[in-house]
This record gives sequence, structure tokens and C-alpha cells, in this order.
Amino acid sequence: MWNWDYAIKIFPEIFAALKITVTATFVGFALAMLLGLVLAISRRSSVKTVAYGSKGLIEFIRNTPLLVQLYFIFYVLPEVGIYLSPLSAGIIGLGIHYSTYLSEVYRSGIEAVPQGQWEAAKALNFSPWQVWSKIIIPQGLPPVIPVLGNYLITMFKETPLLSAITLVEILQTAKIIGSHSFRYLEAFTIVGILFLILSYPSSVMVRRLEMRMNKSLR
Amino acid sequence: MSTPLKLVKNLSDEENNYQDISKKKQKQPMVCYDKISKSYGDLQVLKKIDFDIAPGEKVALIGPSGSGKTTLARLLMTLEEPTSGTIKVDGELLWHQKIKGKKVKANEKHLQKIRGKIGMVFQHFNLFPHMTILDNVAAAPIHVAGIPRAEAEEQAISILEKVGLSDKFNAYPSQLSGGQKQRVAIARALVMRPQIMLFDEPTSALDPELVGEVLGVIKDIAQEGEMAMLLITHEMDFAKDVADRVAFFDEGRIVEEGKPEELFYNPRSTRLQDLLSRFRGR
Amino acid sequence: MTILYLLPTLLQGLKITLIITFLAMLLAFVLAFLAGFGRLSKFRVVRFLTAFYVEVFRGTSLLVQLFWIYFALPLIGISLPPLAAGVLTLGLNYGAYGSEVVRSAILAVPKGQTEAGIALNFSPWRRLRHIILPQAFVMMLPGFGNLQIELLKGTSLVSLITLADLTYQATILNASTMETTMIYSLLLVIYFLIAWPLTRGIRWVENRLSVGRY
Repeated sequence: MWNWDYAIKIFPEIFAALKITVTATFVGFALAMLLGLVLAISRRSSVKTVAYGSKGLIEFIRNTPLLVQLYFIFYVLPEVGIYLSPLSAGIIGLGIHYSTYLSEVYRSGIEAVPQGQWEAAKALNFSPWQVWSKIIIPQGLPPVIPVLGNYLITMFKETPLLSAITLVEILQTAKIIGSHSFRYLEAFTIVGILFLILSYPSSVMVRRLEMRMNKSLR
Repeated sequence: MSTPLKLVKNLSDEENNYQDISKKKQKQPMVCYDKISKSYGDLQVLKKIDFDIAPGEKVALIGPSGSGKTTLARLLMTLEEPTSGTIKVDGELLWHQKIKGKKVKANEKHLQKIRGKIGMVFQHFNLFPHMTILDNVAAAPIHVAGIPRAEAEEQAISILEKVGLSDKFNAYPSQLSGGQKQRVAIARALVMRPQIMLFDEPTSALDPELVGEVLGVIKDIAQEGEMAMLLITHEMDFAKDVADRVAFFDEGRIVEEGKPEELFYNPRSTRLQDLLSRFRGR
Repeated sequence: MTILYLLPTLLQGLKITLIITFLAMLLAFVLAFLAGFGRLSKFRVVRFLTAFYVEVFRGTSLLVQLFWIYFALPLIGISLPPLAAGVLTLGLNYGAYGSEVVRSAILAVPKGQTEAGIALNFSPWRRLRHIILPQAFVMMLPGFGNLQIELLKGTSLVSLITLADLTYQATILNASTMETTMIYSLLLVIYFLIAWPLTRGIRWVENRLSVGRY
């Protein structure tokens, strides 16, 4: 059964691995934000091939498992000469996978900007770049910030998948500790609790932010 | 469960108690509000209201928005619970019941028994969007009264014809105009043959050109006579035509009540005078 | 023709993937409704317990839950075979997410609908059965649809507890044949071919159900 002494003994090691998990989360999320925006804008491209191409890419990535995508990046890319460390492969995998979700979030934000804003920008003779950077993004982004927050939390919870491509993050650390002693209960429970105490308060905060924004928008 | 046609008469000792409370009328009222108050937090919307409705009587409630008249109807329909006071329907307590001589909060079964005597038409229709018009009207006979479907549909059809909607049986509510929706809602409430029907601003959500058709239907029903009605409305001419009695509500109290002609031609309170002049000015 | 050589093994794995998906979906569906209603219960204890279940499974990671149930649970005397552990974890996890779909759909049915039901003297059960649920269910479909895709993708994780699903067969094949590019490309394509029609199908049902009514 549960052994407190053992749990306390292994805790520091697991906790230290959180650094890798958090790094993967934030760098991956930054990548997803950027790629997501590119996808969202190219989906609206007037060039049909670009628009359909990015839509197809989004559908394909969203309809296949992240785990398989990680395998693909980590095991297939070396065949064409691209060698990536587990951490960078993981970050790229997370970034690409979630960029497709974030592109949908951006899209809803963009579509919420009234048509008149596009027309006004056109009437003022803004360049396409200026239309996006000065008119559309400043208005379309703030309302979707809580949704982005939720995806950050979701992504944080997906990082244990990176253990499958040999990244020694928090879950892999627990697994290694467990396999040494054949005691998995404490190690995996600690991991679960760490995830819970980090993600639950964050999602409560996001919910609050959401409610406050809904109020102020009304 | 009782059929919608059956009148439940309860001639218990409660009725005898009742005689002390009702000083105004000899006949047992259909509805009797006794010192009814309702508050939402600090806001008191009804202040110790005493109010009766006789069987078959048509009563119009007028007054500014937020004066508490809608709340009065919602308490009777058991959509909201009074903060204090009691309501009797047909001589029986609505929100309370007596178990072994003690007055306790009514359970769902008791509420259902009394509710069977009451019908309501809402400002925003509240039709069931996932059912056809026919199903909207037949739903309560089938699921509440337990009438076989074929028979329930027959009743629904005849009542829909009465409100002038004989060609819309298979349409969905979203395909109707506001006036048609409200007529379906009236048919839906009518099919259960309530002893009293509550109309909560039935034309307030309608485009002006559609108000007439709905008021016409309500007038027709009123003329049939046997059903009591509580009409909450801003349509003064309509109230004058249909109501036996008009009560003017303001700030949670009944300020004035009387026959329509008295109230409309001889308003005593300045608040009512203000209200009426505003309507004439329109 | 490596593809002909690889395909039979992969399809064998696909069968397991589909079985897990189906069983976990059933479990998740039942749990979603139980927990969704539980969170709206008038009893505080029920609300608290279901909220606890939902927040724990939403707040920790699917893979951590899977490892916990498969590797840690035996230490307190409950040993589950990989298939049972996989189905149970996926069901519990997506049931928790699904309960939010159920709860928010029920809350999204306008209050006037309940009031009309009361005014027509429907019993609480019949109000739910004939008025609230038919309307809420249509609103649940997009949410359930998304979760189904997520669940299908989530089944790939069971390969990490040695369950011989599609992904597992691929990694085994990869070790024995070294046809890495072909295997993992095929793997992606197969998942896509299962998930995409599912997405389309759900959207079709959504459109069918909402036609004419709203």
C-alpha cells in the first residue's frame, strides 16, 4: 500500500522533472500560437490553393493522434536527414498539433469582427498587412484569450505523451523510478496530483476571466 | 391523475375556514391571495397582497412594468414561490398542504393536483421548438392526462381550428409568425381545460399588426364565459372590453380596483391618471 | 510491395483500436449523462462527488490516468488486463469531458421551456424526457462529435500499456522491418480515414436533426 517515506523520498526527483514539462508546454504553445495564426490567415486567403491546402492540412492533423505525429517527427524525419532531440521533436509535435486547434480559435475571433471593420480599413486604403495588424487582430484576439488559456492547460496535460519519444519529463521520470523499485503507486500518484494542482486552479482562473470578459462585453 | 375535463371539488373543512378570510364575496373564489409577499433579495416586488378572483371572472391587471403584476401570475402558476402569505385555488392551499393537521410545504404531487386547474399563456410563447404545432397542443393531453394519442390529436385539432390555425398542424413553431405562435400557445393551454387561465402580457412581444388577431382569440374565449381569466396587459381598450374587473398595480401593491368603466373614466390615484394619459397620448 | 506485407498486421491492430473505441465510447456516454445530471442534482453530496470525479479526470492527463490504473492500481490489489484498463481509463476520462457537454446543453435550454412544462402540469420526469432532453440532445451533438474524435485518437495511448492496437502494431513492425517512413505514414493515413468520415457523419446528423425546427 501507500508508503509515505518512499513518496517523500522520490518527490524531489519527480518535481525537478516538471521543468522539462513546463518548458515543452510553453515553447510548444508559443509555436502553436504562431503557426495557428498563419493557418487562420491562410485559410482566408483569396488564392484557392492556399485556402484549401491549409484547410486540408488542418483537417488531417486534427483527425490523427498526437502520439503518432510525435513518432512520425521523431522516427521518420531522421530518414530524410533531420535529426531532432526528443525535446525539440516534442515541442514541434505539440506546436503543430495544437496550431490546428488554435487556428479555429483565431477564426472564431476573426469572424466576430464586424464586416464594417474590413470595409472601413479598405476605405482608408490600408495595406493587407496593416488591416490584419492594426484592425483585425487587435479586435479579434482579446475575446478569445480565455479559450487560448484553456488550450494552454490542455497542452500542459498532453505533455506526458512526449515520454513515448524518450523525453524524460515528469511521467517518464516517475516510470523510471517505479521500474527500479517496482513501486508505481506513489510515483504515478504524485504525477497525477502535480498535474491536478497545477491545472485545476489555472482552469478556474480562466473561467473567472471568461465570466468577467462576458460581463464587460455586454 | 385527473383528466383535464374533470373538476376536482374539495369540500373539506378548509372551505369553512375560507369563509372568514373572504369578506367580499359569498361564493367561494376561484383564487384567493392572502397577504402574499415576494422579495428578491432586498427588492420587494409584492407587498402583502390580498386579492380574489371569482369563478368565471375576467380580471385585468394593469400597471407599469416592474410593478409586480407578472409575479402575481407566476406565483399562481407555481413558477415562483411566495416569500410569505398563502394562495388558495378552488379552496385548497397551493404552496402548502396539511399533513396530520400541520401546515407543511407542498410536495410535487400536491402541486400537480392544483396546477391541473390552471393554465398560462406566456409573453414569449414558450412553444416547444422540437415539436410540430399539433404535437405542441397534444403533448399535455398525452403525457399529463394520459389520453390515447389519437384522441388527444383529435382534441388538439378541434382546438387549433377554433383559434384559426387549421392549416398549420405539421409546421414547426419557427415557421410561424408571432401572432400564430401565440395562438398555438393559447390552444395548448386551452386544451387542458383549466378553470382559470393566466395571460402574461400575451401581445407584448408581437409586432403591432399581429396584436389584433391574438386579442380577438382571447376575446372569443372570454365570451364563452365559464373559465376565469387573469389578464396582464398594456392594452387598455382590450382590458376595458373583456374584463369584469380591473386592478391597477403599482410598486407591489394594488392601488385601485373596480369595474373597467369606473377605473378608466374616473381614476382616483394620480399614478393611474398618469398611466392612462400616457396611453391616450399614444 | 512492402505495403501488402505491412497492411494485414496493421489491420489486425485496427480491429483492436475500433473495439476499444466502441467500448470506451459506450462507457463515456453513460458516465457523461450520469455525471452531467449529477452536477445539476439538488443534493449537495451528489453535486460534490460528481464535480470531484469530473475535475480529477479533467485536471490530470489521460496518459497519467492510464498508467495509474494499469501500473499503480495493482499495488492496492486491483489488477486489470490491458484491454479493461484501456477501456476504463478512456471511458472515465471522456465521460468527465462529456458530462460538461451534457450539463451545459441542459442549462442552455431556455428557462421558458421548463416554465411552459410546469404550466402544462408535466411531472419533473416528463419535463426532462419530453421537453428538455430532446432539445438539449441536439445541442450536445457537436460536443459529443468532437469528443468522439478525441477518444478515437486517445486510443493510440493504449499501445503504451502493451495493448496490441493499431499504433502498437506499427511500433512492433517498425522494430522488425525498419520500414519507418512507410509504416508511420500508413498509420497516419489509417487514423485519418477512420476519424474523418466520423467527423463528417456527425455533422450530417447534426444538420438532419436541426432542419426545419430552429
